[in-house]
Amino acid sequence: MMKDYMHRYKFLGDYRLRLVFQAELSKLVRARAGDLVVPIPITARAWQERGFNQVTGLLVPGTYQEVLDAKEKDKPAQSSKTRRERLRTPQPFCLPANLDVVGKRVLLVDDVYTTGRTLYHAASLFKQAGCSRVGSVSLAR
Amino acid sequence: MNLNDYYGRRLLVGRDDTSRDHFPALQVLPTIEVGPAMIRCLRCNHQTPKTVAALPRGEYYCPHCINLGRVSTLTKFYHVPEPNQFSPVKPVLTWQGTLSPFQQRAAEAVKEGMKRHCHQLLWAVTGAGKTEMMFAGIAAALERGERVAIASPRVDVCGELYPRLQAAFANCQVVLLHGHQPTPYRYAQLTICTTHQLLRFYRAFDNLIIDEVDAFPYAANPALLFATRQALKKDGGCLYLTATPGETLLREVRRHRLTVNYLPLRYHGELLPTIKLRLAINWRKQVKRQRISQGIIRQLRTSLLQGHRFLLFVPHVADLAPAEKALRKNFTAEKFTTVHATDPDRMTKVQQMRDGQYDFLITSTILERGVTFAGIDVYVLGADDEVFSSSALVQIAGRAGRSPQRPTGNVVFWIAGNCRNVRQAVAQIRLMNRKGRKLKSELSSLQ
Repeated sequence: MMKDYMHRYKFLGDYRLRLVFQAELSKLVRARAGDLVVPIPITARAWQERGFNQVTGLLVPGTYQEVLDAKEKDKPAQSSKTRRERLRTPQPFCLPANLDVVGKRVLLVDDVYTTGRTLYHAASLFKQAGCSRVGSVSLAR
Repeated sequence: MNLNDYYGRRLLVGRDDTSRDHFPALQVLPTIEVGPAMIRCLRCNHQTPKTVAALPRGEYYCPHCINLGRVSTLTKFYHVPEPNQFSPVKPVLTWQGTLSPFQQRAAEAVKEGMKRHCHQLLWAVTGAGKTEMMFAGIAAALERGERVAIASPRVDVCGELYPRLQAAFANCQVVLLHGHQPTPYRYAQLTICTTHQLLRFYRAFDNLIIDEVDAFPYAANPALLFATRQALKKDGGCLYLTATPGETLLREVRRHRLTVNYLPLRYHGELLPTIKLRLAINWRKQVKRQRISQGIIRQLRTSLLQGHRFLLFVPHVADLAPAEKALRKNFTAEKFTTVHATDPDRMTKVQQMRDGQYDFLITSTILERGVTFAGIDVYVLGADDEVFSSSALVQIAGRAGRSPQRPTGNVVFWIAGNCRNVRQAVAQIRLMNRKGRKLKSELSSLQ
């Protein structure tokens, strides 16, 4: 079920389907939110092809802060790799230099949690930047 | 990249794609028309409100034909006008069979229409041998170097047509395309595909044949009528094949937009079995209490006593189990089972019925078309239920009398009252039989 949903939403790109879980996921995010709710970003290339960030689609507009940037222009999708390759992925994100998150509590949001590598990379960036707590929520695993 | 992949097709690529810029033959075509409140997809012609079709950053997509790959303002089409790059090898037609005189007559008419690129309807009764009747027309078209496609709304019809067509045109490139197809697209002179796949083509075919045009989901789907039109070349011809034309097609005939040829006799030269109507009120209630009226039992038993097997159709899958239980009480020695669309053993059961291992099958509408058992009788419980369209009923009645050994058969519909679909089905069969009798007497006076 979830696999079919993800296929249609993310890979076929049926943006209408963002609304299916929006209310429920937003409720969960609201309950856990600290100072910042940060969705995992997508690459410029994905913007060109898919035309939307599947993570922000799942959230109610205006309830999140897109402070994280996807570094590489052309990173291969995590879902196209084996577990081993996923775990070896180098840091794909960066934080803007002028962003002050010292002592803040951050909640990361992603669509699918598989090996945790993506969220781990994002979390370590925020920790290095001085966040007091970094949590995460994802729709499926 | 294979340039001939683009012949007569529209392939989606990213809007900013430049990788194919060095092919001057490639044309770029638009994907979406953005209006003030709606967007229109230029592939499937479907209109969607902007609020539904919106992507972030002012982009739009078409949700309607998304299963064929998403058409959006982020994409464009590449297209190469159909060049008809074929060199037919003779003999084009390798089929060795022969047609009966009345089949021959219809085949000639079809061939002539295809030559003039007409839009025509071949109304041939169930079991007339429609496929073989197209062969002469297709062969002539292929010899003229035309690109031809046969499309059907049903995947299983396509799957059944493909080996027959490949055998009949053994020297020709034939390709089969449908949604669950593992093999990739290939440029071929003769294409067999589902009507959905036609949306991938653009002004490709000189002649297009739509088989079983009345079958769901084509009948109710204007997007697919659009698909047919745009897959045809501007001056292309189109042949609709059906045993049971629906209202839309008959209207086109009345308005003289479609010429029609009839084939009112079956391949063995006999008329269609006529439908007998019987009253059965409250049958569903009775069946739920595991009872069944004696009239029905007697009728079913008559078939078996005469040594004929039968199909018993019920309106819904939910009716199958109670009907089976009720019949088990009355038919203790007979072998029978139920079958429906999502039955995992459907294929096996159908094969076992064919092999004579069952005395009868209780079935939902799934066996209405395309399945042939020799010499059976056909019964429908609750034929006035709204699931049975008039074309479904004609198809169901057409399961009887398919073999030359027994060209007739009992067809009984049990109904609770008068109903438009049943009336239309009875009238359609009567009309075809009237034409059939006329044709028979014409042919016998010629001989």
